[in-house]
Amino acid sequence: MEKVEILEKVRQILITVLKHEKFEMRDDLTASDVDGWDSLTHMEIITEIETEFNIKFRLKELNKLKNMATLIELIQSKL
Amino acid sequence: MVFTSLNFAVFLLLVFILYWWVFKKNAKTQNTLLLLASIVFYCMADWKFIFLLAASGFINFYLAKIIAKKEEGKIRSLFFYSGIILNVGLLLYFKYFNFFIQSFVTLFNYSGAGISFTPFHILLPLGISFFTFQMIGYLIDVNNDEIEPTEDLLSFFTYLAYFPKILSGPIERVQKFIPQIHKKREFDYGIAVDGLREILWGLFKKMVIADNCAEYTNEIFNNYTVYSGSTLALGVVFFAFQIYGDFSGYSDIACGISKLFNIRIVNNFAFPFFSTNISDYWKKWHISLTSWMMDYIFTPLSFILRKYKKAGLIISTILTFLLVGLWHGANWTFIVFGFLHGLYFIPLILKGSLKKNKIVAKGRLIPSFKEFFGMLALFILTSLTTVFFRAENIIGAIAYISGIASKSLFSIPYVIEESSGVKIIPKTLLIFIFLFLFVEWFGRKEEYAIAKLGGKWRRPLRWIIYYTIMFAIIFSLLWYGGEKQQFIYFQF
Repeated sequence: MEKVEILEKVRQILITVLKHEKFEMRDDLTASDVDGWDSLTHMEIITEIETEFNIKFRLKELNKLKNMATLIELIQSKL
Repeated sequence: MVFTSLNFAVFLLLVFILYWWVFKKNAKTQNTLLLLASIVFYCMADWKFIFLLAASGFINFYLAKIIAKKEEGKIRSLFFYSGIILNVGLLLYFKYFNFFIQSFVTLFNYSGAGISFTPFHILLPLGISFFTFQMIGYLIDVNNDEIEPTEDLLSFFTYLAYFPKILSGPIERVQKFIPQIHKKREFDYGIAVDGLREILWGLFKKMVIADNCAEYTNEIFNNYTVYSGSTLALGVVFFAFQIYGDFSGYSDIACGISKLFNIRIVNNFAFPFFSTNISDYWKKWHISLTSWMMDYIFTPLSFILRKYKKAGLIISTILTFLLVGLWHGANWTFIVFGFLHGLYFIPLILKGSLKKNKIVAKGRLIPSFKEFFGMLALFILTSLTTVFFRAENIIGAIAYISGIASKSLFSIPYVIEESSGVKIIPKTLLIFIFLFLFVEWFGRKEEYAIAKLGGKWRRPLRWIIYYTIMFAIIFSLLWYGGEKQQFIYFQF
């Protein structure tokens, strides 16, 4: 799957979980940049991503995520 | 040596002079001095357990190196879990052994078993809750390949035993601390002055606010059956300020001392009383403990339970806060304290995400009505949980809270002075608390309330503020008899 396609799917997941579109999908985007992306919504987002892409994350992998770019890379590596 | 004692002031001055004038050659000499000073400091607090601290350091240092060298697999897991069990086991034995055994005995006796248990006389090593958590976090981060293990034994022991934080935190992370001490520190006048300013504010919080609130808190809580609902409510307010002044004061002093050596440690408080929801509160109260719990307990739990969605989040939150409560002490009251805070999160979890609310009324002098009542409601909710924190047992805590919820809640509060038996309304202390809140409110954007106070003023005017604070500290010592209260978090 192309990176652009993955980015768009992740963007839709964020919109669904966070109930707003007030963010820009850029490589250096982090949770602290996005209103509502906190510890309570983080796992919800992760679960939705796993369902959407039919993948399973490991906790070690999630702990190493730095920003949107690393999240997209991780998703790509599992497809 | 208590931070507020003259002995400690002399000790600190000596270490400061040696650090910048004698041991200044390089990072190694500076760290050697800090380690020696930390050993002296710990031994003067509790020499019996210096060997335990040393053993913990050696074992965790070498375990981390072994874990990092091994490939992922059974051998690596064996070393990792051995390390975790060792650290947790230390804590369980020294802090919770009697509590767990007594609890089981009580449970069995409900079914008529008739077992008796004489608690063992187990001394609690000072700082054990803090340094074991640091070691556990270190091993987890190494095992998760998030950090490389430290190769330098001197740096590691300096980090572990560092005297500003060894007894009551913060729970510092290796990756934030050790890089700082790998380099030679240069003296920075501005940072040192900032450190002195933060120490001054910490002393004010501890000696003026916390210690004076303690006088009334102790009287009210120890004799709660004779006091009206309004006095009991006042007792809760005083205790809330006592514990905040005590612990955040300690943290300010610890941070300030560190700045004197040009080392930064994490700021444990960020004006939690100005939060409008429980999540924000815990991001600002005992920050190093909350972030530790988030990273090592809540996140793994919520990950495991993620398929249960909001139910999974609720269970993870409650379990995390049960642990937060238990961390504070081996008593069911602390567990109830934690449980209540976990429950407070449920509405937020069901509602969904949180608005980022870092600084309330940012850019404005006065909060809106909504913000004010939000802060007040949260203060009441969190203060009520401190009754469990303070009480000897759950029945006493419930009786105290029931005493508040009575018709006498609307009477004028008073406290009976122990020596004379006279009823007094603690007006002076209430004025101090009000002024304190005033200063904290206007300094809430800063690292600590007076960080920038008078920053743009001329020096004489700025020094008037500092002398006023020093005078308040001395006045408090003289007026209230100078009875020093131990820092509350030393018991953890």
